[in-house]
Amino acid sequence: MIRVESLHKVFGPKPDEALRLLAEGRSKDEIREATGDVIGVQDVSFELKPGEFFVIMGLSGSGKSTLLRCINRLIAPTSGKVWLQTEEGEVDVAQVGPAELRRLRQDHLAMVFQRFGLLPHRSVRDNVAYGLEVQRVGRAERLRRADETLEMVGLGGWGDVLPSALSGGMQQRVGLARAIATGAKVLLMDEPFSALDPLIKVQMQDEMIRLQRQLGRTILFITHDLDEALRLGDRIAIMDDGRFVQVGAPEKIVTEPRTPYVADFVAHADPTGVITAGTVAVPPDHERVDVLRHEPGARVIAHRTQADVEIEVADDGRVLGMRADGASVELVPLDTLLEEETPTSRYRDRAAVLRVDRTLRGLLAARNLCNLPALVVDEQERLVGLVTEREIIHAIIEKRGHDGDTNGVTA
Amino acid sequence: MSAWLTDDIFDPIRIPLDDWFSDAINWLTANYRPAFQSLKVPIEFILDGVNGVLQWLPPIAFIVLVGFLAWRWAGWRIAAFTVAALVLIGMVGLWSLTMVTLSMVTASVLVCLILGLPLGILAARSDRFQAFLRPVLDVMQTTPAFVYLVPVVMLFSIGTVAGVIATIIFALPPLIRLTDLGLRQVPEDVIEAAEAFGSSEREVLFKVRLPLALPTIMAGVNQTIMLALSMVVIAALIGAGGLGRPVVEGLNALRIGQAGIGGLAIVLVAIVLDRLTQALGEGSRAGRGG
Repeated sequence: MIRVESLHKVFGPKPDEALRLLAEGRSKDEIREATGDVIGVQDVSFELKPGEFFVIMGLSGSGKSTLLRCINRLIAPTSGKVWLQTEEGEVDVAQVGPAELRRLRQDHLAMVFQRFGLLPHRSVRDNVAYGLEVQRVGRAERLRRADETLEMVGLGGWGDVLPSALSGGMQQRVGLARAIATGAKVLLMDEPFSALDPLIKVQMQDEMIRLQRQLGRTILFITHDLDEALRLGDRIAIMDDGRFVQVGAPEKIVTEPRTPYVADFVAHADPTGVITAGTVAVPPDHERVDVLRHEPGARVIAHRTQADVEIEVADDGRVLGMRADGASVELVPLDTLLEEETPTSRYRDRAAVLRVDRTLRGLLAARNLCNLPALVVDEQERLVGLVTEREIIHAIIEKRGHDGDTNGVTA
Repeated sequence: MSAWLTDDIFDPIRIPLDDWFSDAINWLTANYRPAFQSLKVPIEFILDGVNGVLQWLPPIAFIVLVGFLAWRWAGWRIAAFTVAALVLIGMVGLWSLTMVTLSMVTASVLVCLILGLPLGILAARSDRFQAFLRPVLDVMQTTPAFVYLVPVVMLFSIGTVAGVIATIIFALPPLIRLTDLGLRQVPEDVIEAAEAFGSSEREVLFKVRLPLALPTIMAGVNQTIMLALSMVVIAALIGAGGLGRPVVEGLNALRIGQAGIGGLAIVLVAIVLDRLTQALGEGSRAGRGG
């Protein structure tokens, strides 16, 4: 959808000179000394697949807003390519003429702003219709589509009021509706929820997840909040000092931070919604799992810290049964347990079964209900591993999977 | 006393700037008077049109119309004051002169709008143009009216139209300045948003900048109207008609009463115009929200 190749942005009087020095491997301080230029974005390349939710996370001054504005050329890149997929093939946004640039902004690249950027003299409806208005869509049609989109973001019936009459969260819904209404396949979102109260922010994130499921747009989302990035992103790029320092799925970022900088960030992130059960679980062949005995077509195993809980696993990986203190244990899917009333004391006769893609949060819920190891299984119901309190605590504190594969950098 | 301590020190090096100044005006008059005279044509056209309507309109109709507008824009208090002021002006026998003054103000303000808005827009777009314009506006605004009435008379001769031209020069600066200011004060994030959605420069100007600058521009219009009114009166010195005339004649002939009612009518017109245009400005602000 979007392919960014070796994008650079230099602010200052001698950008070409600065790029040359950069290519020679000079440091930013040396370049500033020599030319007076500041490097905003340095050699960033990435590709956005259609329908992907890509989050760029960085602190202020990391260049993330500059990078976003280079995509629709609100800031002109100094060098590099910004390939945008359109019906007529790929075009380089960095190279097109002014009329074509306006057309690309109108039809393909809608934007949502941190400070909303609404037109204060226009009604909410006319704000949402603005993008269509510059696309030269007729009045009746654009107002109809504006109302439709307002309905979609939960602001049906608010079309006639001025933006100033709305709360911050509602104003940003208007900003979101304005971007969605244009029909652009790509949404550029510049810290859209940073100006909102924490509670409203979480609401808007949920709303965003819901809308994205419904609309399937390609989203480039900027934030300085790692938890927000972890919640929303299919992939996350961590940006520091104008460069991408790590790009990957949320769980990878949390469990395998590649640099101390990323690790530092991750140290303060809430891992419970990110790390998956599959990562946390101790596999049956791990040293912390003992094979107690073999039976025909199956084996009986136990977690070393809970040797009195025996689990019988068939050779094809399916779980045949569990016994605790000699008594048989009922294996229940986590969702079934959650639907039931919470027991007064934790079950010793029922154990939770979860899929690999459930997060730590699911494991915590399971642990809250059952005082037995949770079983993590894949789509074919084959046992992936066991999770006891030990693994959960380890995952929360260390932000890593079971300690069998310690490969990331620790903070 | 030593010559060093008196202004005699300057005697050997007098610059004949006054001569140069009069030479310049004489040269302009001798060579370009027809050009300047032709500038009067469009102004005369506007002035005659407005004055024709105002003189033709029966006073009752005018009072009802203005009273109604005042009520709609500014509420019943100002409407009541407006009606009372107009009735009083009529009853002291200054109706026709007041209409002449109003036509002069209207004509000058119209020309100010035609010139001032584009100049203000240009000044907001270009720092260089703004830097060039600023001293010119300073001169226009601060030169005492009596000083440039003389060149105006020499270039445009005397009369009401010459008076309107002097008025335009005097009243134009605040409109340009406040248009410039209003456009520059439009929040950058709103403009950026408009650009991000693919607006052309023209669309940004007409759909974003001008509407958001409107309250400030209206403040400029209000100032221009008030300055125009004050200048229109002074313009009676060069033979312009209207309410300035009874004041000037009354002072010359020491007819205090005549000058007094002329002055009173001017004050009443000024208050009415000020309140009405301010109410309009408030209206544009209210529509914009916080």
